[in-house]
Amino acid sequence: MFEITSVSMRFGPLEVLDRISFSMESGSITAVVGPSGSGKTTLLNIVAGLLLPSSGSLSGFENKRFSYCFQDPRLLPWLSAKGNMMYALSGLDDSTMAEQRCMRFLKEAGLAGFEHYKPPQLSGGMQKRLALARAFAMPADVLLLDEAFTAVDFRQKQDLMRTFLDLWQKEKPTVLMVTHDIHDALSLADQIVVFSDRPAHGAGIVSIPVSREQRSLGAPALAPAEQELFNLLGI
Amino acid sequence: MPNSNRHFPDHAGRRTWLWGIAGIGIFLLVWQLGAAAVGSHLILPTPAAMLRAWLGLVGTARFWTAVGGSFLRVLEAFLISSVLGMITGTLSAWDSRVESLLAPLMTGIRATPVLALILLAMFWFPASQVPVFSAVLMGFPVMHTSTYAGIRARDPRLLEMSRLFAVPRRTRLLSLDLPSAWPYILSGASNILGLSWKVVVAGEVLSQPSGALGSGMQEARLMLETPFVFAWAATTITLCGISEFILHSASKAAWRAIGSVQHQTGV
Repeated sequence: MFEITSVSMRFGPLEVLDRISFSMESGSITAVVGPSGSGKTTLLNIVAGLLLPSSGSLSGFENKRFSYCFQDPRLLPWLSAKGNMMYALSGLDDSTMAEQRCMRFLKEAGLAGFEHYKPPQLSGGMQKRLALARAFAMPADVLLLDEAFTAVDFRQKQDLMRTFLDLWQKEKPTVLMVTHDIHDALSLADQIVVFSDRPAHGAGIVSIPVSREQRSLGAPALAPAEQELFNLLGI
Repeated sequence: MPNSNRHFPDHAGRRTWLWGIAGIGIFLLVWQLGAAAVGSHLILPTPAAMLRAWLGLVGTARFWTAVGGSFLRVLEAFLISSVLGMITGTLSAWDSRVESLLAPLMTGIRATPVLALILLAMFWFPASQVPVFSAVLMGFPVMHTSTYAGIRARDPRLLEMSRLFAVPRRTRLLSLDLPSAWPYILSGASNILGLSWKVVVAGEVLSQPSGALGSGMQEARLMLETPFVFAWAATTITLCGISEFILHSASKAAWRAIGSVQHQTGV
């Protein structure tokens, strides 16, 4: 169990987060939705340890390994797909294990045969899948996703989300994802934390008691959760 | 029916060559006209007089010894200043304490006049090493700054990604820092090469080592053989051009080799 308790963040006079609290079950997916600029990425950076909160506490994250998938793929353009994976895994002690994980996740992300292609030679969707494969290849307890399914067309997004769920079901890391798209959150998450406008406070938490198989776009089973989200976001 | 097989001839490349040749032609013409106006080989020889002097030099062992000697000095200075500058530039980019520590030294070296440096070096080093020492001191801050700027210009998002994945420093240096800085390093190397030729030959003119283009130039000046001074200078310029061409070819090959190693090792 991971607990985020009354976390606030302030950059000088700018108050970004105001006493955010929620908990995450191990192996679950939590989505954070909210307006642009409401501090969603700031929360991810606090969880990743890149920022120290102005106040509040985090528990359960001690000695945990993190992995990250960014909004932009952040690939080294001069390295091959495999090279990019191995670059991220180069800090692992066991190089054989790193190589095995690299090849396994490239294959599971549908990139077998493209190991030696460099990012500029891959399509935008393939680059996103490579970034996802890299995030999963890193042995991690907590996976942080920052708008990982944006900037691709609808078909690529569906493909990317399927790849994500396949990989997640095999590894089961605890996922904290930030998105501005409530349909992404409804499709993937076990619970959705709703942020208000800045300074963000927790406007509410919506649980999704629907199995992922029943979560097709516009599925009636999701309607109550969707309505609750709209209410919390004031839409 | 419209013709769909449209042909776009590449005039641009040919025109570039033509403009280059035209530039050389105009330069020679102005030189010839200037020499004719002056009317004295002692002050300004014609291009033809310089060519005759050069052809006379090319057949001598002394010429080739000078070419070899100066080339080796330039190579030595180039390699030392490149390696030294890359090391200090990288350390400065990584650690602001090293940057602050080296900043006064770099400013001091940059502000020192070349001639003052050569004259001082003549007290400290044998004649053959004076040009090398002077060229290293002039070239190394250039590579230091280029490497520093190149590493600092790396994409901060890639740096953040590297930190989040806890990529070791050595891997980051080889796979992120140096490839990011490569265009800057290449530009710095090209500048150092030109600078090395200038400073090495200037150092040779003053320190007079045996087997040196600068020594030949100085001897020709003392003998009032101006066409030979021009011939030695033209040789220096030609060698500088050839070495820059070699540098660019080598850098392209090195880049391909790095890509090949990364391809084979997966990093």
